[in-house]
Amino acid sequence: MPANKMIPLDEAVARVESGMTLAMGGFLGQGSPLTLIRSLRDGDVEDLTIYANDAGFGDAGIVELIRAGKVRTLYCCHAGYTPAVNEAVERGLVELVWTPQGNLIEMLRCGGAGLGGFLTPTGVGTSVAEGKEHVTVDGKVYFWERAVRVDVALVQAHAGDTLGNLCHRGTARNYNPIVASCADYVIAEVEHVCCPGELDPEKIQTCGVFVDAVVRTTGDNASRHAA
Amino acid sequence: MSAGSTRDTRCTIAARAARELKDGDVVNLGAGIPMLVANYVPDGRDVVIQAENGIVRCGPVSAPGTEEPDRRNAGNLPVELLPGGCYVDSATSFGMIRGGHIDATMIGTLQVDGDGDIANWQMPGRKIGMGGAMDLVAGARRVYVLTEHCAKDGSPKLVERCTLPLTGAGECDVLITERALFRRSPERGFVLEEVARGYALDDIRSATGMRYEVAEDVRLEAYGPAK
Repeated sequence: MPANKMIPLDEAVARVESGMTLAMGGFLGQGSPLTLIRSLRDGDVEDLTIYANDAGFGDAGIVELIRAGKVRTLYCCHAGYTPAVNEAVERGLVELVWTPQGNLIEMLRCGGAGLGGFLTPTGVGTSVAEGKEHVTVDGKVYFWERAVRVDVALVQAHAGDTLGNLCHRGTARNYNPIVASCADYVIAEVEHVCCPGELDPEKIQTCGVFVDAVVRTTGDNASRHAA
Repeated sequence: MSAGSTRDTRCTIAARAARELKDGDVVNLGAGIPMLVANYVPDGRDVVIQAENGIVRCGPVSAPGTEEPDRRNAGNLPVELLPGGCYVDSATSFGMIRGGHIDATMIGTLQVDGDGDIANWQMPGRKIGMGGAMDLVAGARRVYVLTEHCAKDGSPKLVERCTLPLTGAGECDVLITERALFRRSPERGFVLEEVARGYALDDIRSATGMRYEVAEDVRLEAYGPAK
């Protein structure tokens, strides 16, 4: 009998402790795990370090955790659609570490794939490469970027089974399958939960092997944010 | 002639830039003026638009009432997916970008200088982030910078030396404004190849801080607003 990874939301989120490092799926709200984010927002943990593409869109997303004073550092590539983050940075509530989008996703991919880092051409000659070791390969300059492995990852899926196999929809696929690979404990929030065997195996984009817990998307947290 | 951005100047730049795209090119269009380029691709040319959030053959913005919540571009606008299009995860998207599979990227800028350095992601006091721009300028085969010739206050955006944080060093290949088109080569740096209708060589000189040469066969009245 295969394990049933479906657990109550509070039990899953209880795995997140103050001071932990997290990674989150989502791109300006596309595929954001809002049920999980809002559960953390309303809970007691603080002093989090987060790796994510951005801080959300408008008032929704990681910006909610920042406004609640729960984030110490956010590694991201964009915060242009969340004005409240600018205010939070100016008030010293959160530190942003700008990381180019392609380097950011590759840091997480390498972390999930057992690699120590990678050589990237992105950012050579800019502030993001300062202080990092440069290497020339076949005449082209790269610098070493580290892999990132986190304590807990939060991801979102349109459909998933109780084994943690996930189907993402449209562009909500972008960060979620990679983020699901780079953590010691992975929580997936799923809009439509089904039984093993019900998902077309050809359409599973995140293999359940990566996922530790499945919770149901609740309330108004489904991926359907207005532009 | 007023400095800064008008609908006319933006469309002039986009229309000239669209003529640079060849049949079969895979291109990434950044926010602002570059997004307009899609409206001017000459009939009969198959130009594949890649949006870095993981959508290939990205179509126009969806008509009201036809939006799909999980089908968005990198600016979070709901878009169409053209026939033959597909979705990819972010690691694949940026592998595509760095791996030489993107023929051209077109981006806006705050500053560009005679070395081809581009500064487009950080204004003093405003936290926006570089998004995928650093990866795009480092990875795309041809890098086009599309910008108004001068800033809103009339100061040159084509500067002697970038003073804002760089997006990429020596990455700009072609620079198109509403007044002029410059193409950069390792031997000569930027060469002024075309001047738009309504401007003389001296007008370009007086509004341009970066160093450049004038092509022997520079074309005057080469493009301009639709008549």
